[in-house]
Amino acid sequence: MSGADAAVVFDVQRFSIHDGPGIRTVVFFKGCALACRWCQNPESRRAQPELAYHADRCLPGCRLCVSVCPEGAILDRMNERVRWDACTHCGACVDTCPSDALVMVGEQWTVERLLDAVLADRHFYEASGGGVTLSGGEPVLASDFLSAFLPRAKQAGLHLTLETSGHYPFALLEPLLPELDLILFDVKAGGRERHLDLVGHDNHQVLANLERLLARDSGPELELRMPVVPGLNDGDASLDQLCATLRGLGVERLTLLPYNHLWEAKLARLDTKQTALGISPPAKDYYRALEQRFAARGVTGLAPG
Amino acid sequence: MQTVKMGPAPSAAVANHGIPASGIPALPRLERLREAILAAPYGLCTQKAELMTEAMRVEAPQSRLAKHLAPLHFDALRKALEDNLASGAPVERWQLQMSKRLQELWLRLDQRAQTQPLVVSFAKALAHTLARAELQIHADELLVGNPTRHRVGAALHPDYGGMLLMPELDRLDARAVNPMRTTPGQRWRLEHEVFPFWFSRSVMARGPLFAADLELPNKLTEGRRFVLTQFAGISHVTPDFPRVLELGFVGIREQLREARRDARSDEQAAFYEAGEIVASAVIEFGARWSRRCADEARRLEPSDPARAAELRELAQILARVPAHPARSFHEALQSVISTWVAVHQESFQHGVSFGRVDQYLWPYYERDLAAGRIDRARAVELLGCVLAKASEQLPLFNQMATEFFSGLSSASGLTLGGTTNHGATGADASNELTSLWLLAYDRMRLRQPNLHLRLHERSPRALRELAFEIIGRGGGQPALFNEAQIIPALRELGVSDEDARNFSIVGCVEWGVPYSSFPAAGAGFISLPAVLDEVLREPTLRSHVALSSLMATIWSAFCERLAETVCEAVAGNDAIERAHAQCRPTPLLSILVDGCIEAGRDVTQAGARYDSTGIQGVGLADVADSLAAIEELVVEQGRLSLAELMRAVDLDFRGHDQLRSRLVEKVPKYGQDHGRPERWAAEVARAYAEELRRHRNPRGGPYAPGFWSMTTHVGFGARLGALPSGRAAGRPLANGVSPTNGADSRGPTASLLAVTGVGGAHVSNGLALNESLDPQLAGGPTGAALVDALTRGYFAAGGMQVQYNVIDVNELIDAKRYPDRHRGLVVRISGYSAYFNDLTPTMKDELIARASHGRPGAQVSTEGAL
Ligand code: SF4
Ligand code: SF4
Repeated sequence: MSGADAAVVFDVQRFSIHDGPGIRTVVFFKGCALACRWCQNPESRRAQPELAYHADRCLPGCRLCVSVCPEGAILDRMNERVRWDACTHCGACVDTCPSDALVMVGEQWTVERLLDAVLADRHFYEASGGGVTLSGGEPVLASDFLSAFLPRAKQAGLHLTLETSGHYPFALLEPLLPELDLILFDVKAGGRERHLDLVGHDNHQVLANLERLLARDSGPELELRMPVVPGLNDGDASLDQLCATLRGLGVERLTLLPYNHLWEAKLARLDTKQTALGISPPAKDYYRALEQRFAARGVTGLAPG
Repeated sequence: MQTVKMGPAPSAAVANHGIPASGIPALPRLERLREAILAAPYGLCTQKAELMTEAMRVEAPQSRLAKHLAPLHFDALRKALEDNLASGAPVERWQLQMSKRLQELWLRLDQRAQTQPLVVSFAKALAHTLARAELQIHADELLVGNPTRHRVGAALHPDYGGMLLMPELDRLDARAVNPMRTTPGQRWRLEHEVFPFWFSRSVMARGPLFAADLELPNKLTEGRRFVLTQFAGISHVTPDFPRVLELGFVGIREQLREARRDARSDEQAAFYEAGEIVASAVIEFGARWSRRCADEARRLEPSDPARAAELRELAQILARVPAHPARSFHEALQSVISTWVAVHQESFQHGVSFGRVDQYLWPYYERDLAAGRIDRARAVELLGCVLAKASEQLPLFNQMATEFFSGLSSASGLTLGGTTNHGATGADASNELTSLWLLAYDRMRLRQPNLHLRLHERSPRALRELAFEIIGRGGGQPALFNEAQIIPALRELGVSDEDARNFSIVGCVEWGVPYSSFPAAGAGFISLPAVLDEVLREPTLRSHVALSSLMATIWSAFCERLAETVCEAVAGNDAIERAHAQCRPTPLLSILVDGCIEAGRDVTQAGARYDSTGIQGVGLADVADSLAAIEELVVEQGRLSLAELMRAVDLDFRGHDQLRSRLVEKVPKYGQDHGRPERWAAEVARAYAEELRRHRNPRGGPYAPGFWSMTTHVGFGARLGALPSGRAAGRPLANGVSPTNGADSRGPTASLLAVTGVGGAHVSNGLALNESLDPQLAGGPTGAALVDALTRGYFAAGGMQVQYNVIDVNELIDAKRYPDRHRGLVVRISGYSAYFNDLTPTMKDELIARASHGRPGAQVSTEGAL
């Protein structure tokens, strides 16, 4: 878990142009309480740093790592390098590997280090109206850390965006609100049961948090987004329930995030139970039709492009 | 793809004269001109070589003795040249010694046989050439002038370095890269008439006479540690076109006559006499063209009265310019082109630039516009004709030069935008013409000339929008220059504030003072990794075991060796510059560079108001990455010793795959903004600049450091073994100040910022940053806003220059396989653009690698980068 001094961050991605306005740096926090079946970042789920193995980067004939694991978790097989049930994610093998085939995902970042990293691109934020986006995993789980980080970032004049699943006690989010400029809030599916089935928890907490956010008349701008997963959360029943809920909350529009399946390639590299869905990204007209289905239910759903 | 929301660009408080690309109708004339130029085969032009030789036989005859003895020497030299260039083997010392003695003898004999000052001889030879050069009018063109006898051609200059082509003459038609059409007659005349006359008196031949180092010719052909270019001719200079427009050559001749009356020495009198001769020759050249257009008009009258009318108008225009001051926009443009063509009958096709064209042409355009004599569409058509002319010429390179300067850029720079150089703060200087030039380029999209846009904080929004929209369509133009950084860099060179603020780009990226300087901006290139390579070969250094002092020891050895290499390159260049001053005055260029008439001296003899020589450091990123790798793996991690690392490097990492992989994959590289490699890059840049700035050229001006490479990074790379950075032997070095290919894996903001550390006031001769972007990202209005923001951020952080190559990597791969399908595909190479099809195979591969990046540069990042 992250504390006030440091948090586990697994990527700081610069020149991001799709996660809030302008040119942004996206900070990916590790750890999430949900278990969405389509999670785009399966490497973000576990809260602690973890080992990943990229078979495509492994040097044929190298075998440097084979004897270094204290747990005997490393196999002499290029396509099945790590016995995940034995691996403790201690990281001892990573330095041995010369080709970044064995890497640790996530490390501890202090407030200072993260500030330095995100301030590097401040000229580009200024020029583009951009800033920093907190993503993950679920960044709000690093609330203590963010309570220290955000005021400093705000002081430096950065535009701050939060991408969140909404699933946590509101008390974690509340102290962060004054510093945030924009919240990109995910709604995953309509209906309690479906939510439970698809993401591992019902939507009770998410909706309660959303309601409290909507009730505020100051603070960050709020944009709702739905990751579209064809066949899983786009059925009529799901849409009916979702739109009814949204209308009940007074929400009139949400952004539809197009589905992509790039995450499936990550599974083989990780110690994860998440499995491939085999859903291929739909064509453009699918999204046009989806927009109309939302419109028919009294909600403006906008897919880009 | 999601829409990108961009914040506001700076307010367009200044007059908004941007014109959308859609604001100009289709211009079929320009489309036809473009097609004709793209379809033209490249031809070798020996017109100047032959006419000039013919004249010089009379004006500067060889002595009887030389005539008899020289042919023997010529045959021996020719054989040596063939052997030497073919095999790369150095010429034996005794041969060099012998050759030098003989050259000394020929020089003395020539001087004795001299009947008039040399500058007058060359002036008469130029007049002879201009009076006889063939005049061809091409369909559709509204401006006439032939840089060479071919629609697209390369001139051979026997008075400079043309002789280097001798061993390859027979192969020119058939060579794989950049074939040139030749005729058997041409080849015979070159071998039997032209070269035998010049082999003893060209700048190339005489350069060694002025060098203390006997081995200079070998070093020049070796191309391992440095290359020097000025033996190929005078280039990289911006003639005083505004003065031609204002005074005409009649007015300039008047100035010369007046000055001649007060000449204080024979040399000055000779200079003025020569100046008058060439001024008269250009005046007569215009008159000949006028008659030629009138004749053609008469011929076409029955069949094509519309074209005949255009040619009659041209005949009138040419009856007026360049002899007299221009009165209309059309006259002004023709005057510029006529002058530019004439200059190229004297000087080498490389970097003879146009200066601030939207500034000095503005009054002519404005007046015509006010009088209703012109509209925007017509203006774009005329400007398109200028651009077409500029693309009609190529530099002539032999095989080795093709490797170092791939892409056939004649590097004519054309500068737009910026601020005015008078008044306290410099108001925005852009005007409607600025946009019209960009629009004309957008229609033509030829490889030449180089379009350069000066940007500042108050550059109008509409102009920026247009520029970035055009950049988003590919082709790499215009290149972008940040005034706030460049003006101080010129001030450092001793340029006055007013002149620094008037800077324009000479050639590719070199910032300089237009109209009044001889910056010799492309004089040489030094391979920085070759310096490091030599240092790391020293056994004593390799066995240095005290880790705490290892980096300091390497650094001081590097600086020492760098100083020696710079000295050597400078001494070589000095010799070439002295040869120019002594043996090849350029009277026409000299009367067109401010200061020369006042001083009564040729540009080669320090006549210009500002004098400097630019030499570039190449392979900055490779040195930085190598030093960073040693520091990290040897010093910090203690993973292996320097000796072990260097043994692997010596073997080109054979049997050391793991080490090489670690170097490539795990050690941070310049361009990723990790800190260490960037700090080394900044140090290396400063050390190089400091070393070079210690020297002054024979004209009394400073040596100016630059960081751009054309394709010398490929040539140097081919001649260098592996490096501790993990770069394999023979691979290209990094281009310009760009990171090594694939090292820009953290996206463009990281690589742009890394580069800002290298820049600063010490970069007085320009730097080139090539940033490849995917068309998906940079195309369309959204892409334009994004790249604009990226540029503003980079400039605010201290960036000096950038050019964007918006290219689809798949298109490049396809173009390499099927060249015919991609004729006219223009890509950015370094400070210039080229047709992809004109590049060497290595350079094509490099561009493909550049466009691929290490890992995706920008992506939809709802995803982490696992
Ligand atoms: S992370 Fe630790 S336990 Fe897992 S494979 Fe590597 S060394 Fe073994
Ligand atoms: S150390 Fe890395 S490259 Fe070598 S065998 Fe192990 S995983 Fe592969």
